[in-house]
Amino acid sequence: MVVEFWGQEFKVNIVFGCIGAFLLAIVSSMFGFGGGPFMVPLMSVGLGLPMYLVVGSSLTAIFFNTMMGTMRHYQFGNFDMTFFLIMFPAAILGGYIAPKIAKKVSPLTVKRIASAGMVILALNLLGLY
Amino acid sequence: MITKRNIVIMLLFLLAMGSYYISAGDAQDPPVVPSQSTPAAPPAPSAGFPAQPSSAVPAVPPPPPTVTLSLEKTSVNNGGKINVKGQGIPGKPVYLEVWSENKVKSSFFDSKPGKDGKAPYKLYLTYSMPASYKIYIPESQKTVVDVLKKKGKGWNFADALKALNAEDAYSTPAKIQIDAYQSTLMASVVGSRGAKLPALDEKENRKHSMQLVKSRFEKAARLFVPSLDVKADGSFSGVITIPEGGSPGKYEVVAVSSALVRSQPVTVENHISFPMIYLSNAGTSLNMLWPFLLTLVISIFGVLMGAGGGFILNPLLVSIWPLPHTIVAGTVMPTVLFSQASGIYNYSKIKFISWKLGITMGLAMLAGGFIGPKLTEMITLSQFKFVFGWILLVLAGLMFWQTTAGYIVKNKKEQAILSEFKKRAEAAAKAK
Repeated sequence: MVVEFWGQEFKVNIVFGCIGAFLLAIVSSMFGFGGGPFMVPLMSVGLGLPMYLVVGSSLTAIFFNTMMGTMRHYQFGNFDMTFFLIMFPAAILGGYIAPKIAKKVSPLTVKRIASAGMVILALNLLGLY
Repeated sequence: MITKRNIVIMLLFLLAMGSYYISAGDAQDPPVVPSQSTPAAPPAPSAGFPAQPSSAVPAVPPPPPTVTLSLEKTSVNNGGKINVKGQGIPGKPVYLEVWSENKVKSSFFDSKPGKDGKAPYKLYLTYSMPASYKIYIPESQKTVVDVLKKKGKGWNFADALKALNAEDAYSTPAKIQIDAYQSTLMASVVGSRGAKLPALDEKENRKHSMQLVKSRFEKAARLFVPSLDVKADGSFSGVITIPEGGSPGKYEVVAVSSALVRSQPVTVENHISFPMIYLSNAGTSLNMLWPFLLTLVISIFGVLMGAGGGFILNPLLVSIWPLPHTIVAGTVMPTVLFSQASGIYNYSKIKFISWKLGITMGLAMLAGGFIGPKLTEMITLSQFKFVFGWILLVLAGLMFWQTTAGYIVKNKKEQAILSEFKKRAEAAAKAK
């Protein structure tokens, strides 16, 4: 598939992209996360697309997954309204606060702390510590 | 007073008469039994006739087996301990079954190969599992519970009941309404639970209810509490705990000696007040401030590192609170809908989205998102945690890779091009 974006044309291996997106959507909707951090590498590294094309388009693709996943979880009775009403305002508030402190912190440090934290959490989940 | 001789006589009498009384089915209704089943008999022996000759005993039947139960208080605020005492049958253990009136969903996917080597692939589902459930057992069985604890995830609820001799105590969840579905690969692919199987008979229902109880409460220590002090004369005392974070509302407590010798239920009311909030689908109450703060911190962190917070939020939520993974997955997902939508809106304003690429891949994700949520109820909480552990390791690797020198150099160029294009796009949008 050829995609035109801001005057440039990109050849996209859409079959590979769609299979990857499909499998990613199954896992991410099953475990209830967005899928962005996997979708972006899939499109940039896997499909070799530039970042400026990936940022908006991956978000669009993920939105489909989130919408369908939300609907299906609701259908299967996996949704708790009270819990949602507690977390939803916090998530919105976080979205407003984050950009304001983004300039003060180095993204490199944040990513390093995050990856260290995730390893600890992962080991805990795997029951290794 | 109950003397040793009386106990022996009573036991003998019980042996002889037990089946008669029990089959009459009146044992559950103690106050009525003496007058109904033994109308001609004189009043039960009391301390007033200490020197009764043993030959007269058959004519004076002791009271039918009953268990009494009394609670120190019948209402607690946000959980608490309640002293209980009562009178059971001398020489027999006593169990307390405690369950909440609030009910939740529980599911169990049976994929263990049976005796014929074939895996059944059946999904059992109920919407009427008590949100809280516990069996209090005599202190003397503490060692059995310790053995169960050591088994970790591999313990089996049915075997545990047998080992604890508490099979009679387990009765309320055994009667819940269970739906069974025959899962197939094809059904899973189209996102269906599979064909609904005919209703389970009583025995099957009991068997599968145990699997559902384990699926809901996970740990043996959460289900069995060895806290009852049972004396030789049958009297017992102990403490029951309505946990902090348990479901509010009514709890029923029943003392059980055997299948048909059960005390009248005593109702305990658990009150919770703000900021404690009951999540009716999760069956857990929690202080709403903590999940609010957690979500806030994680979502800020998520934006800063350029990844949604769901990865970290989900495993943390199931680790910190006793929340079912199905509810966590299904509730966290919609929280990002809004931020995603506003992100798309902002990008679309400056035409920074390739709709062709985004929607094509989005349709593939739509199909995946249709299948995934059904699979959530087919796995257990521990499997959920296990897979999430690996997902996080992969993600941590990805994150770390993004901080390595080679990536940063490449990324700097990419980011420069990105902001250049963004500027152009914004200018173009303004010019319009």
